[in-house]
Amino acid sequence: MTGARAPQATEAAPRIDLGPSITEFAGRQAPFYVSRFRLLLSARKRTWTLNRAALLFGPLWAAARGLWGFFWLFAILELFALVQVGRGLWGDLGAPKRAEAERLQAKSDQIAADAEAALSRGESGAAALRESAANLARAAENAFLEAGAAAAGATTLLIVGLVLLVLFRLLEGLRADRVYERQYSRWRSDRRVPSGFSFSRLAAGLALAAIMFPATLYRFTVSQPAEWLRTVPISRTYHTGAANLLDRWFDRAAEAGAGVFDGITAGTEAVLDTIEAVLAGAPWPVIVLFLLLAAWRLAGVRVAIFTGAALAYIGLLGFWEKSMLTLALVGSAAVFCVLIGIPVGIWCARSRRAYAVARPVLDLMQTMPAFVYLIPIIAFFGTGKVPGILATIIFSLPPVIRLTALGLTQVPASVVEAARAFGATRWQLLRGVELPLATPAIMTGVNQTILMCLSMVVIASLIGAKGLGQEVLIALQYVAKGQGILAGLAILCCAMILDRIVQGHFKRPDDGA
Amino acid sequence: MNDIVIELEGVWKIFGERAGEAMAAVKAEGLAKSEVLERFGAVVGIADVSFNVRRGEIFCIMGLSGSGKSTLVRHLNRLIEPTAGVIKLLGQDVMSLAESELRAMRAQKIGMVFQHMALLPHRSVRDNVAYPLEIRGEPKGRRWDVSQHTLSLVGLDGFEDRFPRELSGGMQQRVGLARALASDPDVLLMDEPFSALDPLIRRQLQNQFMALSEQLHKTTLFITHDLDEAIRLGTRIAIMKDGRIVQIGTPEEIVTDPADDYVRDFVQDISKLKLVFAHTIMEPLESYRAAAGEAKDLSESPRAPEDSDLDRLVDVSITTPHPIVITGAGGRDVGVVTKDRLLRGIQGGK
Amino acid sequence: MSVRTPGGAGSDRGHGRSERAAGAAPAFDIGDSVREFAGPRGDYYARAFRRIQSKAGLAATFNRAAALFGPVWAAARGLWGLFWCFAILELLALVQLSKGLFSELGAAPLARAARLEKNYEKMVDRVQAALEKGDQAGADSFSLKAERLHAALEKALTQADEAAAGATGLVIFGLIALAAVKGLEGWVANLSCEKRYSRWRTDRTMRAGFSWTGAALGAVFAALVYPLTLYGFAATEPVALIGTFPADTSHYQALAGSIDRGFDRAADELAFFFQGIARGIRILLDGLEVIFVETPWPVVMTVIVVAAWRLAGPRVAIFTVAALAYVAVLGFWEKAMSTVALLGTASFLCVAIGIPLGVWFARSERAYAVARPVLDLMQTLPAFVYLIPIIAFFGTGKPPGILASMMFGLPPIVRLTALGLREVPKEVIEAARAFGATGRQILVGVEIPLAAPSIMTGVNQTILMCLSLVVIAALIDAKGLGYDVLEALQYAAKGQGILAGFAILFCAIVIDRMVQGGFRRE
Repeated sequence: MTGARAPQATEAAPRIDLGPSITEFAGRQAPFYVSRFRLLLSARKRTWTLNRAALLFGPLWAAARGLWGFFWLFAILELFALVQVGRGLWGDLGAPKRAEAERLQAKSDQIAADAEAALSRGESGAAALRESAANLARAAENAFLEAGAAAAGATTLLIVGLVLLVLFRLLEGLRADRVYERQYSRWRSDRRVPSGFSFSRLAAGLALAAIMFPATLYRFTVSQPAEWLRTVPISRTYHTGAANLLDRWFDRAAEAGAGVFDGITAGTEAVLDTIEAVLAGAPWPVIVLFLLLAAWRLAGVRVAIFTGAALAYIGLLGFWEKSMLTLALVGSAAVFCVLIGIPVGIWCARSRRAYAVARPVLDLMQTMPAFVYLIPIIAFFGTGKVPGILATIIFSLPPVIRLTALGLTQVPASVVEAARAFGATRWQLLRGVELPLATPAIMTGVNQTILMCLSMVVIASLIGAKGLGQEVLIALQYVAKGQGILAGLAILCCAMILDRIVQGHFKRPDDGA
Repeated sequence: MNDIVIELEGVWKIFGERAGEAMAAVKAEGLAKSEVLERFGAVVGIADVSFNVRRGEIFCIMGLSGSGKSTLVRHLNRLIEPTAGVIKLLGQDVMSLAESELRAMRAQKIGMVFQHMALLPHRSVRDNVAYPLEIRGEPKGRRWDVSQHTLSLVGLDGFEDRFPRELSGGMQQRVGLARALASDPDVLLMDEPFSALDPLIRRQLQNQFMALSEQLHKTTLFITHDLDEAIRLGTRIAIMKDGRIVQIGTPEEIVTDPADDYVRDFVQDISKLKLVFAHTIMEPLESYRAAAGEAKDLSESPRAPEDSDLDRLVDVSITTPHPIVITGAGGRDVGVVTKDRLLRGIQGGK
Repeated sequence: MSVRTPGGAGSDRGHGRSERAAGAAPAFDIGDSVREFAGPRGDYYARAFRRIQSKAGLAATFNRAAALFGPVWAAARGLWGLFWCFAILELLALVQLSKGLFSELGAAPLARAARLEKNYEKMVDRVQAALEKGDQAGADSFSLKAERLHAALEKALTQADEAAAGATGLVIFGLIALAAVKGLEGWVANLSCEKRYSRWRTDRTMRAGFSWTGAALGAVFAALVYPLTLYGFAATEPVALIGTFPADTSHYQALAGSIDRGFDRAADELAFFFQGIARGIRILLDGLEVIFVETPWPVVMTVIVVAAWRLAGPRVAIFTVAALAYVAVLGFWEKAMSTVALLGTASFLCVAIGIPLGVWFARSERAYAVARPVLDLMQTLPAFVYLIPIIAFFGTGKPPGILASMMFGLPPIVRLTALGLREVPKEVIEAARAFGATGRQILVGVEIPLAAPSIMTGVNQTILMCLSLVVIAALIDAKGLGYDVLEALQYAAKGQGILAGFAILFCAIVIDRMVQGGFRRE
């Protein structure tokens, strides 16, 4: 058998010599680190070692050795300690209190003078005035005392700061070897991890410290630091100039493109008005029946019951008309999103270049706070419900584009190839194979789009779109909690109805089969 | 019409952005594959492939993965465009076809079966089979008639209203086969159709395919990585390596006369009993007599026709201590197979 | 092509064999299955379907029952989509018809004519009065006005006549439209029925045949919808009950009032609790504000640029420099930094709360089942709705703004942490357990490292969500860059708004890139 071999794998495994690799890693002072790392690697219990270089030079040592995390942590901690020391040494700690005391004293003097004057004129309020002057004088006295105490506290602060500084340095010295050893372990598997001692890194650390330490110390220790350190010393004219320039530019663009913008407005308005006429114009029982039947047929009994309850809530609390306006807004925005988004999505799926251009734009559209869209839209389209819809469309377009593109690119290549091998045209391929297979993804996109449209309802009403959003906004302005929450729930009801019906419809075929 | 259905002449495929340059350089300087990759960053997929397939033939292309066989088969219906070369299908130059003509050819002349079935998951089996007809704009009634019929040809009666996912892998591939047959194409392209299946099912489908092709006599280009399969099915076999065809021949030729070590490695483990015939291993009568002496009496030897395979010769040989005399056309003695020769023959040597 | 009869692999039907695979495929009889599908009148449908199927395009068949009964036929056959299409089309035609028949189309111009006549008479009186007073000039001007009024009156009357005459036109149009709709119904019926049949073949759970309950349901719906709609659109002044939901505003008042009171009481009684939370948030925020706002800007800028460089590479660092320069030059520095401080506090709290919650939800199936709908709700609800209870409990200012941001930013991190942990391969956990790892060791050493990409995606999403809400929180006085945008919106100051908007955008991009770069490095 293997009797000659080691009886136990772990116990008698021969030592591997880390020396050369540690030497390569550490560069300067290699023998020291070889012995330190050996010690740390063989210790079972927590061992403390002191690195004198780290103790002495602190963050600079870390910078030179490429331990940037260590550098930042302790630079900030030391800075904190130094700020305390600085304040103890030359910071005028009593300054704010003394200023207050002086103000009080001045006030008291003035009132006392008034009291004298009143007394000389023989007015009755003189006694009261004198009384308050005395009170103020006492307060000023107290403030002076406090200022004195604060100034006396400077020594304590100095001591605390020094103690902290020493403590941090000690900690640095004690942690250094262990942190460095960890860096070594990482370096072994990834040679890009910084290693060795580098003067350029040391210089970078020094430069960083040179920027950070004096400015921060000065800012926090001097009682009245120079203004330019607190705020960026740049005149307001740039801002107003740029703003005016943009204003003019927008006005000119709005004028130049008036035809285009009016056309868009008219088109959008026509769709919106039709949907509004149907939803808000038709007798409510018809709409209720339609929604109930649609929910039942498309998504099942439970959704129908939920729809009934939600509609009852909306109706009974008097939100009917506003809800219909909101639904019309969301509906037409969603229709536009789908009409624009699916073709664009198909295009993105087809053309790699189009997608490369579209992706950052889509990311941006979703990253941007919705607020920000509103401004160019106001500039070009004014206020009202059409701009509201346009903002909603911009905000809600990305999911449908993204998921259409995703769904189409995820259609198995083999299936597409098969269809091509049987002579399908591009259109047949798209309609018969790709779109049906991408339907689940596209529907997820449509669903997300609808929900995003609803979440924009309130923001759109900031620029004059009517409906439930306006209700919430008004409630917010007057802190009318009840009204706001009821309207918010009504929005939620609308969202859930649409969401459940759309989702239910597209889940069912899968469940059934 | 002449008898050659598929004709390939010097077909090259080079992948990469600079394929054109690479092609020119290859033609001018005869670069090797690795040099092309190094100089142009382009990968040679198919290198100078030429062959003909006759009507009714099952032409197998055998090679390991990465040898370019699947790329090659996609050139026939131009799912992949060749970099250079001539491809003719039914006498027509495929490369000269316009987009619409190409689609018409794909829809009417070519049926294709894929390794991973590539059925449309959202359509019933019936609609999958009828898909090529649908593309051609046939009315639904006819689509249904044809799919019903083709499904019954592959033995899937009664499954037409199921969905592909409800079928086993073997059945799915039979649907794939039925789909390829539905448009009654002249040419069948089969891209490793059975390699994703269990061995037992694969065997079954091979048998079924052989029966079907005896019935329908479709010209077939059959891609496989399994030499056994190629030998079972193929009328002729082409062996590919690194985008080149190493050898083309009947199964017997391949087995008995491998062109190089690469092919020899493959055939080594193939049983020759059913593949090698008496005329290949026999010693001609004259040389036998010259070696053994005129006196050697062959009158007691059993006789076997020259197209009997080794399996039969073994059966004959067991019953007698004498060598077997092979008879040619008209019962004339043409050669002799001794026991030693028979054993060598089974082993693979000559 | 060679001609052979098929051998073994054939069908069991006698006529199913053929010489070519497809060329001469025998006709396949769908009659039985159509009869099974259609129920009553199966033979008719079998004939119709065969006809449709033998045409490559759209076949022309006419279903009289469908034309006659329209939506009710569709309902009986279970074609509910068709039911609504038919109903709406018929209603459109019927509304025209009934407008022509019943409603007074001239009503509006007639009313105007009556009003004009009254004015005209008044004017005539004035002319008389002026003449009596001998004010010739006044009389002239009045008579001029009177003439104009008279002309307007004439015009209104002719308009009324025309409108009334147009009624006949409307009736004829309505009739034609109705006939067209009926024709369409008869034609579409068999086509869509055949489509349904094709689908039914693959899915027998589908509604098939003729159902009396369906017919009855369709009839009831039609009976409800038709008269109401006709009345609603054709009547000149429909009863208010039809147009608007008969809601009693007192419900609303009472409910809103009681919610108000409930909030007030809760805010009163739990004041210490809410104040405690607010104070906790305030401390954290103050700390961050000291770092970002109070610290001299050159220091903060250097640190940010160096961090961008270390985390995400030189390109992002250059972009960061440009973005910071934009922010500083246009005077947004302080606001931007206070926004960053708000954002930092909100994101930190989200991560600190969200990751443990995610771990819990990954562990406990029940907790996750409860939490999921809540998380969905939190993300569905428009952000503004959060603001309301938060104002009620916490008032306005920065801590409430942070809380609102947290509500919005918490779901992604919780969800993605739970998701990431759930997706850790079972075998790996099993292996760790097999080597005797404790629950904690598995979590820290195996699960969290493997779920890290998912968790980091969650962190990134959370930060961006928080940012988009930190801006909105300006509405409740949380200051920062959002305030500038809000102000610009109120005064339509485009330039200012766009400048502030870009500042926000740059902040978002820099943060996003840094976070992403940070975890790509890991």
